[in-house]
Amino acid sequence: MSSPAPPDLDRLLAAWAEARRLPDADAERIRLAILPPVAPLEASWWTELNGKLSAVVTRATATPVPALAALVPAN
Amino acid sequence: MPPLRDDAAVFTELFDRHRRAVHAYLLGRVADPELARDLVQETFLRVWRRLPEVGSLPETGQRAWIFTVARNLAIDSYRAGATRRDAETALRHQATTQETTVAGPHAQAELAERVAELDAAIRDLPEEQRVILAMATAGGLTSRQIGEALGEPAGTVRYRLSQARARLAAALDLKEGP
Repeated sequence: MSSPAPPDLDRLLAAWAEARRLPDADAERIRLAILPPVAPLEASWWTELNGKLSAVVTRATATPVPALAALVPAN
Repeated sequence: MPPLRDDAAVFTELFDRHRRAVHAYLLGRVADPELARDLVQETFLRVWRRLPEVGSLPETGQRAWIFTVARNLAIDSYRAGATRRDAETALRHQATTQETTVAGPHAQAELAERVAELDAAIRDLPEEQRVILAMATAGGLTSRQIGEALGEPAGTVRYRLSQARARLAAALDLKEGP
């Protein structure tokens, strides 16, 4: 039975590099530790958005059809 | 103040582009995986704090900026008392316990043993050779990219890499690859 050939330098260096490389999971932990969490939008922003939407809906439903048609630019 | 979403995206792109090379560089400098990891985090924390400046640079400029920070942090870590002897002891211990992924317990044990020998030989390299070797192997950088990061001509990088390989091959009685 022949013994396997000894691994050459490139193969050993590749194994060394693989063992020493920064794992992706560790890298992600580092990235997340640096980046402060993105703050959620404030409640007042949602309140303001809802107010604007309500106004648009109310205007659209309360405005007579001919008046709405007049708001649409003619082609 | 929370980051803008665009800032986070710019930072993540920078981080993903350079993290492996920076880690390899620091590993070569301090020869201690744990310390290298900490210094990677500190390096990119500084990138984050100076994101508008760094993010506006071309890629070669970004690399030079980041590696200047990493180099200064490595120097500071020496001054702070992270002695090389302690680092090497930790590295040696880890090298003997690190698992490798090859088929077969005998082959795995043999390769792990050889990698531990290689690890010891790498630690005995002059620092300038060890850094370049780590950046080329663990960092996956070309000689040109290493040269840009370290402010060295690519030819000098290739020469030192060749010296490092020759020393390792001699130390481990190995044949050189093609």
